[in-house]
Amino acid sequence: MALNHRRSCYRQDHHETVGENKEKRPKFFINDHADILIEILKRLDGRSLCIAASVCRLWCNIARSDSIWENLCFRHVSPPPSVRSVVLALGGYKRLYMGCVRPVRRRLGRARRASWARDEVQLSLSLFCVDYYERFGGSNSNGRLVGESSPSSLMFLCKPVNV
Amino acid sequence: MVLYDDSATLAGSCSGSSSSFSSKPPPMQQQQDIDDLLAGAGYKVRSSELRKVAHRLERLETAMVNSPADFSQLASDTIHYNPSDLASWVDSLLSEFAEPPTCPSEFIMDPVTNQTVANDVWTTTNPNMPQVHHNISYEQQSLNNQLTVVTAMEEDSGIRLVHMLMTCAECVQRGDFSLATSFLKDMQGLLTRVNTVCGIGKVAGHFIDALSRRIFQGIGGGSINGGSAFENEILYHHFYEACPYLKFAHFTANQAILEAFDGHDCVHVVDFNLMHGLQWPALIQALALRPGGPPLLRLTGIGPPSPDGRDSLREIGLRLAELARSVNVRFAFRGVAASRLEDVKPWMLQVNPKESVAVNSIMQLHRLLGSDSNLNSPIETVLSWIRSLNPKIMTVVEQEANHNQPGFLDRFTEALHYYSTMFDSLEACTVEPDKTLAEIYIQREITNVVSCEGSARVERHEPLGKWRTRLSGAGFRPSHLGSNAYKQASMLLTLFSAEGYSVEENEGCLTLGWHSRPLIAASAWQAVSHAPAALDTHRPVVSGACDRNFSSTHPPTALASLLFLKRNDEEEICFESGEKGTPGLDWPYPNKEREMGKNAASQHVHVSISPHLSTPLALPYNIFIRDGHFILT
Repeated sequence: MALNHRRSCYRQDHHETVGENKEKRPKFFINDHADILIEILKRLDGRSLCIAASVCRLWCNIARSDSIWENLCFRHVSPPPSVRSVVLALGGYKRLYMGCVRPVRRRLGRARRASWARDEVQLSLSLFCVDYYERFGGSNSNGRLVGESSPSSLMFLCKPVNV
Repeated sequence: MVLYDDSATLAGSCSGSSSSFSSKPPPMQQQQDIDDLLAGAGYKVRSSELRKVAHRLERLETAMVNSPADFSQLASDTIHYNPSDLASWVDSLLSEFAEPPTCPSEFIMDPVTNQTVANDVWTTTNPNMPQVHHNISYEQQSLNNQLTVVTAMEEDSGIRLVHMLMTCAECVQRGDFSLATSFLKDMQGLLTRVNTVCGIGKVAGHFIDALSRRIFQGIGGGSINGGSAFENEILYHHFYEACPYLKFAHFTANQAILEAFDGHDCVHVVDFNLMHGLQWPALIQALALRPGGPPLLRLTGIGPPSPDGRDSLREIGLRLAELARSVNVRFAFRGVAASRLEDVKPWMLQVNPKESVAVNSIMQLHRLLGSDSNLNSPIETVLSWIRSLNPKIMTVVEQEANHNQPGFLDRFTEALHYYSTMFDSLEACTVEPDKTLAEIYIQREITNVVSCEGSARVERHEPLGKWRTRLSGAGFRPSHLGSNAYKQASMLLTLFSAEGYSVEENEGCLTLGWHSRPLIAASAWQAVSHAPAALDTHRPVVSGACDRNFSSTHPPTALASLLFLKRNDEEEICFESGEKGTPGLDWPYPNKEREMGKNAASQHVHVSISPHLSTPLALPYNIFIRDGHFILT
């Protein structure tokens, strides 16, 4: 999508310049309208969002902001109230998405039913919380629970799925 | 079932060709004597001789396996003619070999009955066992060259191992330790020929170790309870990572607790085995996000005392508190260090009467099933004080196996099934070191089930049906786990990459199993409420005086007084305090706990009143009974 956007931008520019007035500036350049850009980027899927982050610095900054990922996590589900503070405390939406929501959605993709969307999110949140606890909980300097090579409880989500 | 599958997969490639020998001979055509199926392959064998040739081929195979040196000589030096005449060819080969050693022939079963008997062994446990052993001992006594049924070398070794394990266990049960020792040696020899990295070899290896521990170190020796608590925690953690059983347990229990706490603002969870507290972050998070806002959560974690001065319970409590703080849940933690669950007394938990209590026991209740010489079995004591706490919900997760039978052989067989299924499911895990350490964790359980007795044997698993009876008898009624729990469990399992796990619902309880063999069962219970007798005019009739007065200036953490009363009837005695207008019951302290138990045998009522106080006692006090009133002065 980013490629298309770039292309269309260029094409737009090109048309304008090829058109009558070469001095006239293009009427619309998306980077001038960050709010519209945010609205567009909010609707991307995870992979496209990562690609979008490599377009330019502005896009990168926007794509890295947590609010976009929030939308990604709760796209099909209305988020439970006060979830934002919880998620931010546990590491942010991007981490939630990459660590939990994406693998959960992908793994459950085959067996998915529409009514499970909310439960998926809740399960992802729970797993996310356990992971946070394992990695960062504790006020001592060695925050890990079990030695240096502590396994993350989300490791099982990283394993390839047997099809 | 499972073991057959395992050995079949081990020898998948070989079984095709040789299975045709062990099955019944193909339908013969009366006209021709030469079997035409084999003729198609280039061998001329008379149909009437098929069975004989098959047996001889198997003897040849066994002989080749047992004496590889002869085999190599055979291959290079001797000359054999006309291999298409299979019968004579095999005979000539066989004549080159010495007699097969007597050791494996001890373990030979009649080929015809092998199939059915083996099937019986794996499908039903008890009724056919004596039959199997009768066969085996008969064969042993004869000790002549009975024919072996070998479908493939490894498959045979796997099945042999299992049969030898059974026989050895039976010897142990009989007390015939010398024979058992010889079996052990044979089995260890057989182990070298079996793939011990996976499948039946690995499980058998563990069981052989456990049996040898039992034989050589005696029961109660080598008890794994001596392993340090720290080690146990690490193994438990890796077991948590490697397979979904504990995750299933935690998530299901959390769901039940969450649903029970709906609408309550002051909640108290008692965890019978805190370990690293891995269950609680998810509950804290769920409570943080629940519609009405989070309640005040108190967590009391029970765990073994840590030896080297580290207060591990407190550390875990701090971590959980840290987490709760970051998600804005009011949280309080209390740790109770006790090496055995029966040592815990309810006053140590400091339950506030206004709060809703949940009791969570993940694989802890079975440890209390060892019967002592005392009158009160530990399980009854613990269940009765749990009930006295009047919990909103009690979540119980236990292994779904029958490892508490009195007979050793039954227990052994059951454990063999159960743990081989569990090891199968563990094969799916590829994350190291989780897998290895999880196996060590399971191995400790195996060792405890097989090689310990009496108070050393703590892994006394009982199936769900028995727990249902027991808990119903102790005054609990089942609370059905809802569809949310089921959905969550199914989703959790789908996340695990192995396809063999299955969640089933069993009369309101959920079980997680591997390929339709349930391995762990989660259930929820509520205390059956009994109407508390109001202490006014309907005071239950209590006659007699107490046996002793108790007076002291004990600090608040002291144990309570014990009053022995005689009762006239079956009414329960309730003791409320602080109520206005109840003469003689002036209990000046706000928090009190009452509990009662019934010792039916002696018709006494054992009442203990335990003050747990926030301020130290200033004055001495007496408790005695007059005319059915409790009087505190």
